[in-house]
Amino acid sequence: MIKVENLKKRFDNIVALDDVSFEVKKGETFGLLGPNGAGKTTAINILCGLTKPDQGTVSLDGKADPTVPEVRLSLGVVPQTLALYEELSAQENLRFFGRIYGLSGRKLKERISNCLEIAGLSQRSKERVSKYSGGMKRRLNMVCSLLHEPPLLLLDEPTVGVDPQSRNLIFETIEAMKKQGRTIIYTTHYMEEAQRLCDRVAILDHGRILDMDSVENLIIKHGGPSHIEAEFEEKLSEPDKLKSFIEDKNAQFEEAKIRFKTSKPMESLAMLNRSGMRFRTLKVQTANLEDVFLNLTGRRLRD
Amino acid sequence: MKKALFLAAKDLRVLLSDKGNIFWVFGFPVLFALFFGAIYSSAGKGPSGMKIAIVDEDKSDFSGSYVSRLESDEALSVVYLSRDEAVEQVRKGKVAAAVILKEGFGGGFEALFNNDEPRLEIASDPSRRMESGYLQGLLAKAQFEALGDKFVDREWMKGQISLWRDDMEGANDLDAEQAKLYLDFMDSFDTLLKDVNEDDFRAGFDGDMLNFAKLDVSREREGPIAPFQITFPQVLLWGFMGCTATFAISIVKERTSGTFARLRVGPIGRAHILGGKGLSCFFTCMLIMCILSVGAIAIFKMPMGNWLLFIPAVLCTILCFVGLMMLICTLGRTEQSVGAAGWAMLMIMGMLGGAMMPLAFMPSWLRRFGHFSPVKWGIYALEGAVWRNFAPTEIIGPCLVLLTIGLTSFLLGVAMLRRQDS
Repeated sequence: MIKVENLKKRFDNIVALDDVSFEVKKGETFGLLGPNGAGKTTAINILCGLTKPDQGTVSLDGKADPTVPEVRLSLGVVPQTLALYEELSAQENLRFFGRIYGLSGRKLKERISNCLEIAGLSQRSKERVSKYSGGMKRRLNMVCSLLHEPPLLLLDEPTVGVDPQSRNLIFETIEAMKKQGRTIIYTTHYMEEAQRLCDRVAILDHGRILDMDSVENLIIKHGGPSHIEAEFEEKLSEPDKLKSFIEDKNAQFEEAKIRFKTSKPMESLAMLNRSGMRFRTLKVQTANLEDVFLNLTGRRLRD
Repeated sequence: MKKALFLAAKDLRVLLSDKGNIFWVFGFPVLFALFFGAIYSSAGKGPSGMKIAIVDEDKSDFSGSYVSRLESDEALSVVYLSRDEAVEQVRKGKVAAAVILKEGFGGGFEALFNNDEPRLEIASDPSRRMESGYLQGLLAKAQFEALGDKFVDREWMKGQISLWRDDMEGANDLDAEQAKLYLDFMDSFDTLLKDVNEDDFRAGFDGDMLNFAKLDVSREREGPIAPFQITFPQVLLWGFMGCTATFAISIVKERTSGTFARLRVGPIGRAHILGGKGLSCFFTCMLIMCILSVGAIAIFKMPMGNWLLFIPAVLCTILCFVGLMMLICTLGRTEQSVGAAGWAMLMIMGMLGGAMMPLAFMPSWLRRFGHFSPVKWGIYALEGAVWRNFAPTEIIGPCLVLLTIGLTSFLLGVAMLRRQDS
């Protein structure tokens, strides 16, 4: 569906993208995860034809060159900034963008109504956008790109600065799009979003893809061990006996508590259970994409 | 084309949703029309109520007659002061000038033609030179009129001739032959004053001393020029300038708010988007033209002149300003910078082009710069159609200049936008 090969883009002395290649299959949700300035928006801008790469090619659904307007017809782009006419109402914004995408008559009316419902704005559709809250604007910003039911969606950090309620609504909408078989590219610097929504994720930093795989595989490869903290009903009378169940040589033992790291948390817990000790509390902290990024770059995502 | 029309319709809707925009595009030109129309409506009469101070040190019948003539002139408002007070009032800017009638002002020909010792002094405010020039004309007129009254007074004339004769006879520096010629003329004039009958004498010397006829330089037309006919082209230009600035700012707003980028990732090209902007600016200018024309005709009873010339003149002017709009929107990257730079550029064009004050009021060297202002050519073309009664061939020149400026600005603006975006 989308094929990106050897993209390079430089703005004066800043390298925005450095030999970026990836492929996204039809119906897949692909995440570009990286901190601010990693090159995510530049990648999106190149994919939708707003920016020309210095080098490399982009192919959308087999058609090259997204700078050609007809190629962009299959594309829905949710920009990071709010791209709305604040002087107009939600309905007027949707009508205008719908017409630009060639919709008219009953079809346009239906789509406007559907999009207003998705955004939860049906009741306030005739109010000026300038009167909306930040979250409402974000939701409208997103549905403006869904009007023409594009098979391919590019979402550039669609949840920046939104309230939890709007955030959930946006997630639900994206999940619904996934179910409908849309191909989605989603950029974010929130690892929870990538973990929740994306089938595959590319870790982007300083314009380079550091690794790219499913979330699980990335965690296995780069996330490091899980942290387990278990508290038992009785004091540990024989800690050495427990040591035989865990592989971490640096495990810490305190009266009725044990802390250790493991790459196979479920197996370790099963073994501890077999020891006959009864658990009072149990904390399992598995690795996540934040750890993956930390291990790959030595920095946190939001540094 | 359909998409460009959607864009234009959207822009008009956005424009009309902002009261500030409505004022600059529609309200300001109307205020301009009312203000300058009122000024031009009294332009034929000259300034009125110019305050001057009179210092009558002569206190003769002639000075009294002279001052009463000044008092009766609508253009002047006269106050009587002492010399010191009058000069002080001029210095403070409270009166436009002080007119001092020195002792001997009413001394007849001797006082009138004595260049060595003028009996009339004027102290005028240096910042009001135009009024001062106008005042000198009024003073000369009053002096000629007061003299005219004296000329029909036989006894006064005889006395003046007698005084002149005494001077002539006592003049040692005059050649005897030349002196005889003057004295013979005075004898004849004395005989005339004595023998001519009253009716013929009055018919010869009474009446306006400054009398002239005005030649009409315009071609055949129906009725006189209405004051609003003169300001109408300027009013239209202000409307177009307001529209140009508003749409230039709206392009920048689209770029900074992200809607321009959203449109560019849609299935339309940059040409469509910019074409749509140009189209909406064009339509708005046409709307302004229609509103102002209907208002001028219906409310101010303004004759439109030649419609067949007005239409191409107005179209070329609008196209020129649509092109300028595209150039102005590239003058900055924020709404504030484009708003400030755009208005500054348009104001300068307006000033040099005669949209603020008639070009005739400017020094000649500054007037030459007006040739570089599209405002000048717009006003010229529109005036040609509205009241100058141009022939069709005469309007081609300014229209071509306007189209050239418009096209050049448009292409330059598009190229700069493309460069900024890349």
